[in-house]
Amino acid sequence: MAESTDLRAIRWLRGQLPKLVAGGVINAQSADAIDRHYSAAAARSTNFGFVILAAIGSALVGAGIILLVAHNWDDFSRTTRCGIAFLPLVVAQILGFFVLLRRNDSPAWRESVAILDVATVGTAIALVSQIFQIQGNFANFLRVWMLLSIPIVYLFRANFGAVAYLIGSAAWVLGKAGWSFHRPGTMFFWVLLLLIIPFYGGMVRRGRAGWGFHVLSVALIVAAAIGLQVTVEFANGAVGAVAFAGFFTTVYLAGMRWQDDGSRSLNVLSLIGGLGIAVTAVVLSFEDIWQVRAGFLTTGSSLEQKMAVTIALLFPAAAIALAAWSFARGKIFYSLAAACFPLVATVARLVAGWGPDSGGSSDRRSPFAASILLNVYALVLGIELMVRGIRAGSVLRANFGLLVIAALALARFFDSDLSFVTRGVGFIVVGAGFLIANLFFFRKRGSA
Amino acid sequence: MKSFRLLLFAVVALAQLGLPAGAVWMRSQTLSKGRLWKFRTAPVDPIDAVRGRYVALAFTAEKVPQAEALPPRSTAYAFLKEGSDGFAVVDHLSNTSGHGDNVIKVEPGSWWKGEQHVSFPFDRFWVTEKIAPAAERAYAAGTRPEKENAYVTARVHDGDAALEQLYIDDQPLVEYLRNHPTR
Repeated sequence: MAESTDLRAIRWLRGQLPKLVAGGVINAQSADAIDRHYSAAAARSTNFGFVILAAIGSALVGAGIILLVAHNWDDFSRTTRCGIAFLPLVVAQILGFFVLLRRNDSPAWRESVAILDVATVGTAIALVSQIFQIQGNFANFLRVWMLLSIPIVYLFRANFGAVAYLIGSAAWVLGKAGWSFHRPGTMFFWVLLLLIIPFYGGMVRRGRAGWGFHVLSVALIVAAAIGLQVTVEFANGAVGAVAFAGFFTTVYLAGMRWQDDGSRSLNVLSLIGGLGIAVTAVVLSFEDIWQVRAGFLTTGSSLEQKMAVTIALLFPAAAIALAAWSFARGKIFYSLAAACFPLVATVARLVAGWGPDSGGSSDRRSPFAASILLNVYALVLGIELMVRGIRAGSVLRANFGLLVIAALALARFFDSDLSFVTRGVGFIVVGAGFLIANLFFFRKRGSA
Repeated sequence: MKSFRLLLFAVVALAQLGLPAGAVWMRSQTLSKGRLWKFRTAPVDPIDAVRGRYVALAFTAEKVPQAEALPPRSTAYAFLKEGSDGFAVVDHLSNTSGHGDNVIKVEPGSWWKGEQHVSFPFDRFWVTEKIAPAAERAYAAGTRPEKENAYVTARVHDGDAALEQLYIDDQPLVEYLRNHPTR
């Protein structure tokens, strides 16, 4: 029920009713009916606030009890401590049954009890481990915790629970990878991520206007990006450029596909995807990035490393498939330059790895050609984004395109051995370009 | 739909309770039926020792005389015996499992000049936040080479090893800290 969420609009409409009746637009009965309809929605929202406060209150009481108990913790027998460890979880589960039976229609109740259950499962496992001196590392603890929590997200349709799950999964993969990023077992992250996808899909289908969609989208993108970074490090096959090009393009294309027709501003997926594409393109324009060997795999690659390479390459494949599918149906709702990014990155990766092996310790082939390709690409991307921004009448998006060009120019100034005078002139040209373009843009908008 | 949801939640709730409860049950079995072993502690890397809510443990028995190195990241089993001073030592290492109250699973580490380093399945002793700093100091003082008076007791039962207590000067840690409040 999207209408019940916009309280400000409801308040405004109810305030307008007497004027509408006085003006003869609607009769008094209709005004009464409208007022009754929206007063129920307002009451539901008050309920939300109450439940949130109640949740905070009960959390504080719980924390207080834990502090009191902790004061004498060492004096309790093992059995007593064990009972205390399980108590919050049992309370949360009883509340869970109550909510499923009696408050299943209230998002506030469902969200609160889901968070409570997820938190108390973690507490119970941690306390039992401590009481019985059960050994084990943090990553294993997190994985068990997340697997016991994911059904709760579905059962209570809990957005906060889903976000907590994604944070936990990202923390797990970082903990599992360790500082070296090369410890085996990290690919299980993608199983954890897949488990939340149906929930996210359901949300996309139901509607993308609410805060839940935005928050969960950001959490999903950040968690997946962290997982992808661990994956490409673990794969050890220089697939990072292609993988991230594919990842951000997939996010961007999905965002553009789900763009609501009426809205002039971009949704959160298109924004993050577009930003990711631009930043990655500028980063990849540096020559040093492209010092890679030919193949994605070395002879010593383990099965899990091969899996990591495959997973990393799934993202560019998905992006190309998405773009091609829309292209074939004649629905091009996206920036063509942005959609081409995975292809460009793949070609650059092949070019960089092509050529005779120098035989030295640094396996240097043709990074220069790859970086030239990416420089040209980033320039085209910047221009296209700017033109699209101008066409859409968005100052922000037009300037974003300009920003990409400026960032590229800056990168080259710092990258190359140009004299101070040349760099100075370059900065002036880029700055003047910004000013002139905006002047032109605003004048055009003013005359229109 | 509603009853299906309730049934599903009941299953999930049972799993959420069952997992920690299973660990409790297994540990309780080992603690009640297992054979008691005493392990002399060894100094730990001070960087490792400060880990907030537990005391990092190392043991003198983790260095085992062995002619050949065990492959790292493999699973090995240590067969324990009681030394002349009453503390546990590793009799021999093996790649094959054995059942009994004298076998624990260990993780092989480095090998140097006929000495194989292994890690026991317990390397931390959980304490409450309140006593953690004092416990850390007492443990460090108790594992100095000139004054070795710290040890732990663990019970071993059917391959499961459960850490029981950390002793300093023959007193359980909490009791020792109560008797030596200034440290």
